[in-house]
Amino acid sequence: MKPLSHWFRDTSQDLGLRLIAALGLLLYLVFIVVPVFMSLRSSFTDENPLKSGSNWIGFGNYSEMLHDSQLRTSVVFTLLLAAGVTVVANLVGLAFALLLDRTALSYRVLRTVAFLPQVVSGVIVGFVWKTILTQDGLLNTVLRSLHLVHTPVDWLGKPHLAQFSVGVVVAWVLSGFTTVVYLAALQNIPQELYDAGSIDGAGAAQQFRMITLRMVAPATTISVTISLITVLKLYDVIQVLTSGGPANATQSTAQYIVKMAFTNDRFGYASSIAMFLLALSAVIALSVTSILRRREVDL
Amino acid sequence: MFRRSAAFRRGAATVGAAGLLLIAACSNSASSGGSSAGGGATLTYLTFNTPSLTPAFWKDSIARAEQKAPGVTIKQVVAPSTDRDSYAKQLQASGQFPDLLQSITPSQYTEAGLLAPYDQSWIDANFLLPQGNAIKGKVYIPPTNSQIIPLVFYNKSLFTRAGVQPPTTWAQFLQANAKLKAAGITPMELGGNDPFAAAMPLTGALSADVLGKNPKWLQQRYAGTVKFTDADVVAAAGKMRTLVEKGYFEQGALNVSYADSIKNFNAGKAAMYPMGSWYLGSIPKDQWNNIGVFPWPTDDGSVVVPFAVGGSMAISTKAKDVKGATGFAQAWSLDPDNLKALIEGDGAYPMLKNKALKDYGVTVSPAFTDSYTYVTDTNTKVSSIGWSTNDDALPGSLNNDFYAAAQALFNSSDVKGQMSKLDKAWSTATK
Repeated sequence: MKPLSHWFRDTSQDLGLRLIAALGLLLYLVFIVVPVFMSLRSSFTDENPLKSGSNWIGFGNYSEMLHDSQLRTSVVFTLLLAAGVTVVANLVGLAFALLLDRTALSYRVLRTVAFLPQVVSGVIVGFVWKTILTQDGLLNTVLRSLHLVHTPVDWLGKPHLAQFSVGVVVAWVLSGFTTVVYLAALQNIPQELYDAGSIDGAGAAQQFRMITLRMVAPATTISVTISLITVLKLYDVIQVLTSGGPANATQSTAQYIVKMAFTNDRFGYASSIAMFLLALSAVIALSVTSILRRREVDL
Repeated sequence: MFRRSAAFRRGAATVGAAGLLLIAACSNSASSGGSSAGGGATLTYLTFNTPSLTPAFWKDSIARAEQKAPGVTIKQVVAPSTDRDSYAKQLQASGQFPDLLQSITPSQYTEAGLLAPYDQSWIDANFLLPQGNAIKGKVYIPPTNSQIIPLVFYNKSLFTRAGVQPPTTWAQFLQANAKLKAAGITPMELGGNDPFAAAMPLTGALSADVLGKNPKWLQQRYAGTVKFTDADVVAAAGKMRTLVEKGYFEQGALNVSYADSIKNFNAGKAAMYPMGSWYLGSIPKDQWNNIGVFPWPTDDGSVVVPFAVGGSMAISTKAKDVKGATGFAQAWSLDPDNLKALIEGDGAYPMLKNKALKDYGVTVSPAFTDSYTYVTDTNTKVSSIGWSTNDDALPGSLNNDFYAAAQALFNSSDVKGQMSKLDKAWSTATK
């Protein structure tokens, strides 16, 4: 039986933890839940940032969204970007993780280097890549000096090429994150599994397929889901790199929301698009998580 | 008991402090105001930085105007980019609309009653074009300076090499481009990766051909009696497409940044450069005698000047001290040192009454003095489409859509289709 003083101590610690949890909950309510509900309410109005008061217009904004061709273009681009970047960033991340899963000091340094793209601000990433990809930028200069191209490539000047370039840059940024996630997962795989596999005569490819891939499956679920969500709400990198151009070819849905809210002064309409993006992200994230979780069990 | 109460107090204090922080964070810090040591108001002033409008420029200019407007203390708020309108709206949305706002587009705020008009007698007494920035007859930013957008700058030695004279008609312009190309010279530089720069030829063509013949066109577009899909507008926009199809722009023009386009043109990599008159501030001194300028050519050779009257600051109707803010704004607007910096660094043409260029003590290039004559001469001045801040300002995000249409004309021959998109965007922007 615990002495009475211990009960008091436990209770006081418990109370402290509860207060800290309450503070966290308060912050979450104030900065996440309340704004979401405010935005939901705004999506049914004609709210304008320059005017006080607004009118309730029901589903008017949502109805307008169905006929908005610019919105449709931005959503299609955002979805394609999210899918492409998620696949590439996760493959690259897994490959890097396999390469860097060593204990030597040099590998630890390389791990830091691999994580750097994730640390750098999206604005800085945009500026740096813009100088690399423009006409007389680093990439075209290198390609021309190696005689791989005769005329500079319009990396940011042709719509499809610009979309591809944005995809590469965003995948580069995300690969830092995916590398770390897969590295953590790889380091949790017991060596005994590989030893047993070797005894059973499994080669490197078989060990990768039967042990590594299966053991990193939970990490894949997390990495894929977070990658998708990150790209679905992407704004900063694209804004600096292409400003959504050329001719709106790389305009993300998040950019379109900002354009509607702060350039067209249509907070209500921007809120309805934001609600749509939130719902779309939630549906995609839940579906992907559900599919990958089932895959984890199957594996 | 002691431990329990201490933990409780610590926790309660933490929650209390966080609550106070939240309340403080959510409160309107800008409008809560404050007072200077002298008892006058502290006013927030939204500014922005460019290569010529540096932090040092703002610091000095604010200090000078504060001296001339006693009792006013200025707290500078710097926009994170040159898009000060979007930032001003973000501040308004969060209850922090600045008391003074530099070089905004007033038409976006006047309907909401957010800006206070200047006293017309003061405007009339001090400026060459008192109504240059007027919205429904009222002036919300003093018309201190002006720009021509675009002019066509040209490299005299490259013109001589190709045997080309500065053109005055559209036909001559096409001939000049063809001759330059045939001589192995890139006819035109364009930093099309930056959307506004990509739209310079479209701005020139529509301003010269459409507004040149019908200066009321933008007002009629607001009234819905004309459209972008009208034949004259499509024909004007088609001129930009012609320049693209004939390969007169620098190869990969949409992959060239605005900054690189200036470097390229200054280095003699192209013969012509359609750009706003602010480029005058970027001509290197060793090129002063080699860079010439002509207005965007029209079909018949008449001079049409796409014009935008710039200005200084707007005053919020909710300013803590509108009288003090007006005093500061008037002092800033009439300060010749501010105009000197704008003339030399930003290629701005001064619009103050009773002052000649020499009165500002500036040293400017021959291209500046040549182009300044387009401002002072009698000719057809029209609003530069997409750049005006008066009644002819485009609604909402139409500037962005206009830029996008210009970029699209590099990859699409469907000129009417692009103009149709602008009509749709107009409907969205005016809802």
